Amino acid sequence: MSTETKDPGVVRALRDLPSNLWSSIFRNPLPSTDLERSSTSFTNFFLHIHPVKVHKNTLRPIYTLGLGLISMFLFLILIVTGILLMFYYVPSTQQAYDRMLDLRGTVAFGIFLRNMHRWSAHGMVAMVFLHMCRVFFTGSYKKPREFNWVIGVVLLLLTLFMSFTGYLLPWDQLAFWAITVGTAIAGYAPVIGHEMQFLLLGDSTVGQEALLRFYVLHVAVLPAILVLVLAIHFWRIRKDGGLSRPEKALAVPAVVRVRVEASATKKTYGLQGFVRGPFTKVGNVPDDSVYAWPNLLLAELFVLVLTVSVILCVSLAFNAPLEEPVNVMHPPNPAKAPWYFLGLQEMVSYSAFWGGIGVPGIMVGLLLLVPYLDRTAHGVGRWFARERLLANTIFLTMVILNVIFIIIGTFFRGPNWTFVSPF
Amino acid sequence: MRLALAIASFVVLIVHGVVFYDQFFHRWERHQTAYFEQARSLTKNAAEKTELEARSPKIEQYIVTSFGDTHVDRCGTCHIAIDDPRFNGHAQPLKSHPYSEAMGDVQRNGRWERRHKFSDFGCTACHGGQGRGLENQYSHGEDEFWPEPLLGYVSQANWRKDFAPKLKGKEYMEAACAQCHTNESFPGTPNVNRGRKLFYAMNCYGCHKIDGISEGTLGPDLTEAGKKFKVDYLWESIVEPRANLATSFMPKFNLNDADVRSLVIFLKSRRGVNLNETEIDRYKAHVANVPVVIPPGTENLKAGEQLIAERACTACHKLRDKDGGIAPDLSYEGLIRDSEWLSDHFKNPRSRIADSIMPTFRFPGDDFDRITSYLTSLKTPPPAMAPGETYKELCSRCHGEKGDGAGKVAWYLDPAPRDFTKSAFMVSKPRERFVKSIQEGVAGTSMPSWKNALKAEQVDAVLGYVLESFTKEKQRELKPRQVPEVNPVTTSEASVKHGEEIFLQRCTGCHGRKADGKGPNSLDISPKPRNLRNQPFVQSVEDKRLFESILYGVQGTAMPSWIDYGLTKNDVGDIVNFVHSMNQKPRTQQNAGN
Repeated sequence: MSTETKDPGVVRALRDLPSNLWSSIFRNPLPSTDLERSSTSFTNFFLHIHPVKVHKNTLRPIYTLGLGLISMFLFLILIVTGILLMFYYVPSTQQAYDRMLDLRGTVAFGIFLRNMHRWSAHGMVAMVFLHMCRVFFTGSYKKPREFNWVIGVVLLLLTLFMSFTGYLLPWDQLAFWAITVGTAIAGYAPVIGHEMQFLLLGDSTVGQEALLRFYVLHVAVLPAILVLVLAIHFWRIRKDGGLSRPEKALAVPAVVRVRVEASATKKTYGLQGFVRGPFTKVGNVPDDSVYAWPNLLLAELFVLVLTVSVILCVSLAFNAPLEEPVNVMHPPNPAKAPWYFLGLQEMVSYSAFWGGIGVPGIMVGLLLLVPYLDRTAHGVGRWFARERLLANTIFLTMVILNVIFIIIGTFFRGPNWTFVSPF
Repeated sequence: MRLALAIASFVVLIVHGVVFYDQFFHRWERHQTAYFEQARSLTKNAAEKTELEARSPKIEQYIVTSFGDTHVDRCGTCHIAIDDPRFNGHAQPLKSHPYSEAMGDVQRNGRWERRHKFSDFGCTACHGGQGRGLENQYSHGEDEFWPEPLLGYVSQANWRKDFAPKLKGKEYMEAACAQCHTNESFPGTPNVNRGRKLFYAMNCYGCHKIDGISEGTLGPDLTEAGKKFKVDYLWESIVEPRANLATSFMPKFNLNDADVRSLVIFLKSRRGVNLNETEIDRYKAHVANVPVVIPPGTENLKAGEQLIAERACTACHKLRDKDGGIAPDLSYEGLIRDSEWLSDHFKNPRSRIADSIMPTFRFPGDDFDRITSYLTSLKTPPPAMAPGETYKELCSRCHGEKGDGAGKVAWYLDPAPRDFTKSAFMVSKPRERFVKSIQEGVAGTSMPSWKNALKAEQVDAVLGYVLESFTKEKQRELKPRQVPEVNPVTTSEASVKHGEEIFLQRCTGCHGRKADGKGPNSLDISPKPRNLRNQPFVQSVEDKRLFESILYGVQGTAMPSWIDYGLTKNDVGDIVNFVHSMNQKPRTQQNAGN
């Protein structure tokens, strides 16, 4: 090991170049011991986001259903396909639709990229929402994870807004009228409604200004914000002690100070064993945790491959819709908002203010306040815990109501928003 | 889990394979390869052979900028033999585009030269379809969202099955020709020309506006019909006007398929902008009616009969066995209207019936004279029949077979025909009034005077029939009311002003702020409140009736008895003066805006 004993010549350096390069990049060989496993997770930039060890409960598929992870991977797919689509897209009312035709007909992989982007976007909205439901039903928003729940709600809103801004870009009838309806809902807000609508559209109707604004929001502003908030979301998961788990695990001493000798080989390595300092984690029980490498990584890889394969299959089977070019004089009847806003549109059909602003405002407010209203510490880490019957029932009712409204709006509304049967 | 992981990975791999195959092995490449091979075997020219050997499949496109927007037509990618005359016998897509002298192609030194070069015109300018696509479904416009499917070749999946076959045929492409060839007698577009003639002959222009051709306002503007609508929609709208809009009162013209096709092709050619036309041309385009050709020397009577047939009056009106089902019966016109009334009504239908929906047609004045002289000649009275039969023949078209005022054409008449089943009204008016309405007609409404068609005893019998079978209640003993015969309040500015004040306070809820009978409450009221600006009507009504209606109300209607609400006779006199003051202007001026 010492440089004095052997001075390697250039020839030897060249011969060792591949392995030196490899080890300089990856630092560790494929781990076979616990030390190497810890060290691999700890010293790799991409793996560093993971803890060295995770609680077994975290790896139970039935507990998380992988929903957060799926959302994350869908977001990655969206970034990749979105960037590729940006090479072909022009946010101009003159050209946008033609570009869509080119993507569909002529550009290599164009239609496939668009399908993937479209279905991933819809999927992400659904998955983020389901992820929120999972977190609620397992009581995971409770102390110390209150603020991460708030961040999560912000992420849901950002996701919706991302999807909504992207909806306009194809500049077909579907997009145009959905955005016309969607922004009209924003216009119902008291006092600032019309200003908000104007700010969003840059005009009194959907047109070139709106297209440009939605484009910039969609490809630059919102993704940047989303990535930032997402980073905070992930960082806090770790700082808040990993994923939630049943209270039983908390029976073990809460805070411990551990010092570990880095050179000792035959030893169990605690979390952050390579950092000299106080052990900041709460309730980490060595017996119930396993190494992130390979357990967590394998699970993540599985979710990734599953997500990608589903999106690929869906994109192969179904083409993203592209309707007639925009015709400002000829609205479709009924003109519908994107499906995730159809619940709102349905409510708006009863009362413009309450449906469009009042009820959703109250719902978002309640969501943000949930961890501060529900201060009991019980029922964390289990699905539908008995102690949380009331909270779960209220939440489930809200969810079902929303879903029913969306279903009515999507399938049961015909021309002039009259009730029709899809059967 | 590892197995599942492996399966999922395998799926990813397979899908990638499929996608790559899809994206790299196109059908058009096969078409092009086939073309290169066949052309190589056909050519005897060595240079061309080597050139063909060097060619490899690539996307071919025409970028056309001559028509305003930039068109990108990639049709030549599959139809690569389009300009190669050796391929005129091949199957599509490797068929060459036919050459034709009718299209202006010329033969020079044995080689054809196109008048419409693809590099100048592209493909979609004439054929429709979507130039950017490379798959049949999209480029031919089979995809239901594409507004311009290949004209005359493609029907979209959501089109009506019953007439989709009629929407095929080369002649539909004339609609595209007429974008530039706007000449009315251009020989290349016989269907467009015929459609244009039909547009006049069937009186479409009376209701529909097309810039530079017609100025109708009753129906939708068709200036851009060809741009907005597909041929399927156009066909459907002509043969079944109510298919898309249940409340449409466009008549069914019962045209034969050839006529509908010509009209559809004509309408499809209306795109708002004709490519060959400048703004100034369009500005200069004048309203040019196609005259009905009447053989010289024909007397007015006969010419009138021909005009009524060819101007499609019976698309709305009834004349003997022809019935449009929208407007009143003309069969006894000579007995119920005089020539003065008719010619006023032709020039401006609103001059005699204030709320008539009949369009103002711009026929030459002679035509009106001829139609008038024909109509006034229709003096054969109905045969003597039982009162019930007479009612059915003359009255039921408006008043309904059940006497409920809901006859076949009642929906289109304003004011609506009287509902005889509203007994509260029927029993509160003296019999003389009904007799007078039948014999003299009601001015300003569609009720004509029947005194020349029916003898007094016939009138009496029909009235008896109506009262007996529809009203069913005994005529009430009417108590004499204290109503002045003539308005005791003399007309003065102060009186009119006071009348107006009362009117605005008390009457606008139903009669409307414009006194046109369309106040906010009028929607829920039946019969509808009177239009008090219906000049012929107001002028024909005696002061006595106005006083009685206002003071004591009109039973069976929403008009209350205002004496109970504190109006004095002087107040009513002021209101009557006010109402008359609104109807003083000479007719022509009042209706000039219509």
